[in-house]
Amino acid sequence: LAAQAQRSAGSGDARKPEQVVLFQVAGKPFAVDLKHVERIIDYREPTETPRRPPHIEGVVEDRGRFVAVMNLRKRFGVAGPGPAHPAVLLLRGAGPDPIVGLVVDQVMRVFAVPPDGVLSPPPRVFGIRAELIRGVANAGGRAVVWLDVAKLLSTTEVITLLA
Amino acid sequence: VAREQVLVFRVGSALYGIGIGSMWEVLSPEGVSSLPTPPHQVCTALAYRGTRLPLVRLGVLFGTPGDRVLPSARVLLTQGARHLMGLLVDEVLEVAEIDPQRIMPMPALASVLGAGLFRGLVSCDGRVIIVIDEAGLSAMPEVARFVEG
Repeated sequence: LAAQAQRSAGSGDARKPEQVVLFQVAGKPFAVDLKHVERIIDYREPTETPRRPPHIEGVVEDRGRFVAVMNLRKRFGVAGPGPAHPAVLLLRGAGPDPIVGLVVDQVMRVFAVPPDGVLSPPPRVFGIRAELIRGVANAGGRAVVWLDVAKLLSTTEVITLLA
Repeated sequence: VAREQVLVFRVGSALYGIGIGSMWEVLSPEGVSSLPTPPHQVCTALAYRGTRLPLVRLGVLFGTPGDRVLPSARVLLTQGARHLMGLLVDEVLEVAEIDPQRIMPMPALASVLGAGLFRGLVSCDGRVIIVIDEAGLSAMPEVARFVEG
């Protein structure tokens, strides 16, 4: 397990806990690195942009910048409407733009993942390829899919979240 | 601050703007609607004072549903990089003044169209206007092929 944890911990000091933001999409728990999360804002209707991919809702203005908004339910091919009041994680340093908005169903909390609390993922987790995942983290006894947002935002491959 | 005037128009539900410095004329689309054009063809022909100009159907380019020319539609006769062209839009709204320094780039994730087609996005009276780049539009392969052909 320790060897797996070290392999999956990626860059940086594997002995230090890493902070992640926990959130839910379609009832499943996910995490992203806290260092990528600039802020969390309330969802507001984006301005539609021409010829956008189906999972891109458009752009919202934030502090004088325009931010592309990706809906993670749609990115994961989840059918049906999401919650009435989803949240938007503003992520920086990931993907092709300086900042991007990620629509998630609900933000849970910030969690420090201990070095021995993350496992290398199997080839697919909930249908998501392991290459797009940093690991499966143990967050207080619950297995959480720790997404590699830089890779997730840079790929156009079709992802279908399994029930 | 040097302000810039842009002609604001609608394609689908989105608002777009184009600098009026490159605008020649706003035409009603008679003669355009009767042209037999395949639904997905971005560039077609515009007859203008005895010449044949490229006409970019922005609704097709921008992926907006609807294959008929609306009564409110207009053709913006516009100076491109090297030639005149028409831009078919759903409705012309107004001339607005913007601060060109506040035009922010279109995020790469926001559209699969090349960034060269847009100068960017600007907020104006609480609305977001997508400012198009007429030189970039006129350099699109579809338009270049039409001009050369």
